[in-house]
Amino acid sequence: MNAPPRRTATRPRPTPGTFPPPPAVGGHRPQTEGPSLWPAISFLRRVREGMAGGQDPVSALAGAGLALPSDARRSLDQVARRLSGLYPEDEWGFDEEFAEAAMPFMEFLYKRWWRVHVEGELNVPSHGRALLVGNHAGSLFPWDAFMIGTGILEEHPLPRFARFLVVNWAFELPWVSIAIRKFGGVPASPYNAIRLLEQDELVGVFPEGVKGTGKDFRDRYRLQRFGRGGFVEIALRTGSPIVPVAVVGSEEIYPKLAESRALARLTGAPFFPITPTFPLLGPLGTIPLPSRWRIEFCDPIDTSGYGPDAAGDRTLVFELSERVRETIQEKLYENLVKRGAAFP
Amino acid sequence: MAGRRILITGIASYLGTELARRLEQDPDVEYVAGLDTRKPKATLERTEFIEADIRNPVIARLIAPTRVDTIVHNQIVRRPAAERISPRAAHDINVIGSLQLLAACEKAESVRAIVIRGSAGIYGAEPGAPQFFSEDMARLYPLRTRFQRDVGEIENLFETYRRRHPHVTCTMLRYQPTIGPTQDTQVTRYLSMPLVPTHLGYDPRLQWVHERDAIEAFVAAVKNPVRGAVNVAAPGTIGLTKMIRRAGKVPLPLAAPLFPTITTAGRRLGLVDFSPDFRRVLRYGRAVDTKRLVEEVGYEPQFDAVAAVEDYVATHRGRQMVSPLRGAVVR
Repeated sequence: MNAPPRRTATRPRPTPGTFPPPPAVGGHRPQTEGPSLWPAISFLRRVREGMAGGQDPVSALAGAGLALPSDARRSLDQVARRLSGLYPEDEWGFDEEFAEAAMPFMEFLYKRWWRVHVEGELNVPSHGRALLVGNHAGSLFPWDAFMIGTGILEEHPLPRFARFLVVNWAFELPWVSIAIRKFGGVPASPYNAIRLLEQDELVGVFPEGVKGTGKDFRDRYRLQRFGRGGFVEIALRTGSPIVPVAVVGSEEIYPKLAESRALARLTGAPFFPITPTFPLLGPLGTIPLPSRWRIEFCDPIDTSGYGPDAAGDRTLVFELSERVRETIQEKLYENLVKRGAAFP
Repeated sequence: MAGRRILITGIASYLGTELARRLEQDPDVEYVAGLDTRKPKATLERTEFIEADIRNPVIARLIAPTRVDTIVHNQIVRRPAAERISPRAAHDINVIGSLQLLAACEKAESVRAIVIRGSAGIYGAEPGAPQFFSEDMARLYPLRTRFQRDVGEIENLFETYRRRHPHVTCTMLRYQPTIGPTQDTQVTRYLSMPLVPTHLGYDPRLQWVHERDAIEAFVAAVKNPVRGAVNVAAPGTIGLTKMIRRAGKVPLPLAAPLFPTITTAGRRLGLVDFSPDFRRVLRYGRAVDTKRLVEEVGYEPQFDAVAAVEDYVATHRGRQMVSPLRGAVVR
């Protein structure tokens, strides 16, 4: 079979020069987004704004205190509206309001807990379909999806939500399945990915799957097999650019020392990790360790030149899959060196 | 196609009667016949009523002289308990009835099209499933419930028939459950309960079809039969929690392992009637892709999933029924 001519990144890529340079501190996302769903957060924001505006602490506190009743009323209104069922929900169950309400928590994890540093965020297209392909880690709970998503929201000049494919087992779990849907996750089925991409969404996949999250701590940052290259087929079929994403730091949050087959069978989980703190400390063991993170979005790989029929070309699929894998592995080593020690 | 001659099985059901009424008014339709064991509740003007049991081989002799070109198979029992039919009789009507009907079709040489009102239940309700089933995904999961196996068998029967008789167009309409202001369905019964039981910790994506769309899609498919399966549903989905809140109901969350026991006990008391299929839908949800209905059959549903629920809610709160146009626009 004749392989179509290789084309690399013909899609016009946004160059850093087309956007205003990022501010020295924080991302592009405005810090003063008005009142939040949580009155306490609105209060703190107002105090900070007042102080930044040159007020003395007492008058800043007083001003924010005066605004509290209206903030509380607004959030009560929102709660009442949600209780009468008037909230946004797309056909996948993604609830943008819910995801926004959880942002303060995600921001805390992103900025304070893991001190995430993002590079190459402009490689994520600001509109249209695209497939993010990342390395997967975090045995107990894979926070990498949330941090990639938060990274785009925080750093990208035109922030957008990423929709991740999530292991099917999670959708059998009570509450977990609700939360995943509300955050925009969908079951990991190629049909879902294709439909999302046809709707011009930004889709995130982890081709390693549970092999990535379930690997031992001593194997950290060693990419596992990339499935059967299904993600390449999806990208080819929909003509979506592939953006490889290298995440460093996620391997240290729950170092998996061993696993329990019996407990995995009992819970129906794909694997049951044993970390230094879990299940030894019970719920406390689910608190992730505060490692330092780096996320790098690599140069996108354009697939539109091959045409949708190329999805059936095994050689091409494996070649592209291998190329993405090598890119991520290379960038992982690079960022590991740049990061240095995991827990400074 | 002028001068259509159409026979409808299960004409006494709401949808059967409504379909007959719509076809009677159509100048292109020359003749309408209805087959059932009981008379339709509403009076029909020019529909010939054939009183017969679909399980009886005699229907072959009754159908042949009508010289119909289209057979609409609408006699599939979805809720045996609500219709006071034993599960075994329901299975007989579904499978043996379909078999007898196909035997009758073999005898009636005039038949050119068969339109079956099947069910999207064949896809099941699975936790990690494709979020929008398209027509070619019917056999991704094992058929778990009795009704699913019935539907699977019916689909097989018609598939075999279609292969042996290439000149006959077989349309298998896969309907999602119906909701609407006037019809009594599993969904409306569920929503009219004082406390609405849910699975604790699950908020499935649901998809129904509005009763008006259900009829219009049926009419469209009879007028323009296409080969193979076609999903019939409202576009989009609505979450269970959102639906209950829109309806102003109070949910009663039950732990998932206890759900079947409690709802079965409730059925004995005459409170609830949940089929195993519906129970699974309430836990994992199900939605289908309606591209084929829109593009090939040529019918675009007027109510999306949210509008369909809101139309039901609006009527049941004693408000005026929203016009279909408003229902489609206003969310």
